[in-house]
Amino acid sequence: MSLIESLLEPEQDDLIMDAGATREIRRAILTAIAVPGYQVPFGSREMPVARGWGSGGLQVTMALIGSDDVVKVIDQGDDEGVNAVNLRRLITRASGAVETTEVSEATIVQTRHRVPEGGLEVGQILVLQVPEPEPLRGVERDVRELERMHAEADYSRMWVSLYEDRVRNGVITRTTGYPCMVGGRYVISTTPIPRWDVPLLHRSPFLSIFGAGRAKRIYAIPPDTDVEPMTFEDVPFEVEENRGAVCRRCGSDRSFLVATPSSTDGVDLWACSDTSWCNRRSGIDSP
Amino acid sequence: MNQIDVEPEVLEVSALGRAYGPVDDGVIARTGPLAGTSKCATTGTVLAAWDVSFAVAAGEALGVIGESGSGKSTVMRCIAGDVVPSAGTVTLRRSDGSFATITEMSPAEVRGLRVHDLAIVHQNPADGLDLRITAGGNIADPLTAAGWRNFGSIRERAGELLRRTEVPLERMDDPVGAFSGGMRQRVQLARALANNPSVVLLDEPTTGLDASVAAGVLDLIRSLLEEFSIAAVVVSHDFSVIEMLTQRCVVMQHGRVVEHGLTDQLLEDPIHPYSQRLVGAARS
Amino acid sequence: MSRTEVLDVAGLTKSFTLHNIDGRSVVALDGVDLTVKAGEHVALAGSSGAGKSSLLKCVYRTYLPSSGSVVLVDEHGERIDLLSLSEREIVALRGRRLGYVSQFLRSQPRRTALQIVADAAVMRGVVRGDAVAMAEMALNRLRLDRSLWDVHASVLSGGERQRVNLAAGTVSPPRLLLLDEPVSALDPANRVAALDLIGSLTESGVAVLSVFHDLEAMERLASRVVLMRAGRVIEDGPPTEVLQLELGVAR
Repeated sequence: MSLIESLLEPEQDDLIMDAGATREIRRAILTAIAVPGYQVPFGSREMPVARGWGSGGLQVTMALIGSDDVVKVIDQGDDEGVNAVNLRRLITRASGAVETTEVSEATIVQTRHRVPEGGLEVGQILVLQVPEPEPLRGVERDVRELERMHAEADYSRMWVSLYEDRVRNGVITRTTGYPCMVGGRYVISTTPIPRWDVPLLHRSPFLSIFGAGRAKRIYAIPPDTDVEPMTFEDVPFEVEENRGAVCRRCGSDRSFLVATPSSTDGVDLWACSDTSWCNRRSGIDSP
Repeated sequence: MNQIDVEPEVLEVSALGRAYGPVDDGVIARTGPLAGTSKCATTGTVLAAWDVSFAVAAGEALGVIGESGSGKSTVMRCIAGDVVPSAGTVTLRRSDGSFATITEMSPAEVRGLRVHDLAIVHQNPADGLDLRITAGGNIADPLTAAGWRNFGSIRERAGELLRRTEVPLERMDDPVGAFSGGMRQRVQLARALANNPSVVLLDEPTTGLDASVAAGVLDLIRSLLEEFSIAAVVVSHDFSVIEMLTQRCVVMQHGRVVEHGLTDQLLEDPIHPYSQRLVGAARS
Repeated sequence: MSRTEVLDVAGLTKSFTLHNIDGRSVVALDGVDLTVKAGEHVALAGSSGAGKSSLLKCVYRTYLPSSGSVVLVDEHGERIDLLSLSEREIVALRGRRLGYVSQFLRSQPRRTALQIVADAAVMRGVVRGDAVAMAEMALNRLRLDRSLWDVHASVLSGGERQRVNLAAGTVSPPRLLLLDEPVSALDPANRVAALDLIGSLTESGVAVLSVFHDLEAMERLASRVVLMRAGRVIEDGPPTEVLQLELGVAR
């Protein structure tokens, strides 16, 4: 086929990633799994979602998914967020995979913000959409210096930052993107998940892959890998408190709760962030 | 042989040289004090420092005196591991007793050395501190780099060092950017001592400070060097600093050592014409 | 009584080449032979410019002699050639076996009087606890008021500083002690106490080589007086003899 003819071929809307991209990203994923926590650079492609909106996560999912997969996509823990719905449609149409909101049915879960409540099982893959992968970005700007710090495991600037935080605020205040040491070697940012979910990563039975499209990096946490939040020995890592709040739908006080605006008196009420988990509970517990 | 016990050497600088350009016997002959320049007229080679040797023992302070262009800063940077010399070696005896040849180390190894065994007090405290960070934080830096992970212990050690360097404890959590020059220098000293280095390099430690402030800082440095049995190299153009801090010194001119001796001897009986000129100028 | 030799100076010369004036040479010492034994106090006499201080400084190595030899004989009878020692060896020697007290207190502005004296003892090998006790005794002996012991040396008067200096130079005394006008700033009462202290040093075996401008001190303390002129030794003998000679010449 001549060049002109190939350019004139009708676009295949459903094919959002070609074979070459798929292979490259798979290689990057393999490297990431082989070196847990190391940010593997990859050639980030144009995706139907804008950069910063999950293009990295999408590329990872598209590289892994096949027609025999079952995919769940959540946005802030919610399956029905606009973003999640769009991505799910894109992915299933392009890959032929089946969609689900049931965690136990999924082979791949793509998420923008949460780990499904309670985590995943052996054999499942969690794909995280990462806005900014670099954990040290707040303490260093220079790219070469960042590379050196990771290469030499020289994280003292991060430790100083944690020290300053503790001094200024009494606690370490990071909410998302809490820095963690993976496999005792590399420090990662656990963005996009909240502190609440960080303990789920430690020696998890499932594989986590973090994709950052704009920054062009992929990193991974294979199953059974140590993931230790960076904190001082005498300053224990704490997750968010619920402070007596319960979910207005299912009554849970031990899941990650988010504030939902009340239509009646303007007072926020709390509800489970993970909607499908909540639904399942309500279903079981409803009178 | 005479029965005089001397402390073992902790830092040894041997035939150290740093050239910018090709070097041969001719270049060497055409540069230095006799030639009156450190730049070879024929090849354009600059011998910023050449054939510099000295050794320092624990608890001893050695001064390096010279005007700007003398090569003293180059020597300092070679010892610090910031610059790779063209010739010669710098060897240091670590806190654990082993020897390290700085001049053969990779940048990563040098960084490790700088955490544990070799500290530098810069002329401008802003070069040795992060001004955005608190005094305690600036000390937490080398401690965490050395593996300290207990917040309480880190604070305790930082507090102890700040007390020792006479920084008011209530300022421990203030950003160093808000401190005066003299106070910043004290924080720099506290930071330098954090991991009990065996060698400390002091580069014009009181330049830029008011006379009264400088006197206090010098006095502090002197007592710290004695207390912690540190081997120190003090680079300065100021004789009062050298007199206060050192027992021996070397005089540099145009990249070479022109004279070396006991500090009091150099100040009262300088032999080399250049030394005489320097001392004479200082005395007047 | 046969006393052991402590200092042996032979053929010592010192000249300064003034490169920055016109390259001329100034001779400070022109061939000096001198010995000092343990328990002996040798006082150098002569008009200013005779070379007295220069001699002390050449022994202490503040001046680098031009030629000749300076030998210190240690407690074991070992002869140490001071001019062949390395810088670090001289520093070690000065700490322990060779002392020098000049008129001026070297800059240690923020150490207290007591600390300065105790430090000197520690430098000579005394354990810190004992050093403090010795320092207190020395300051007491020199009549330095107790209230001044914990005061920074920089705020002391000239006479007070001189006494601190003397205490530091003599506490746990070194084998050879060089004194250069150590009581010049003291009032009569304190001067007596100081001279008393210096006298007791020779009694305990210290070899002392001193410069006093005051004849009475020399007469009182010295077992020998060495008269110098133009960098040479003119006379060397018992105080009364030599000083009579000097006084005779002066008249």
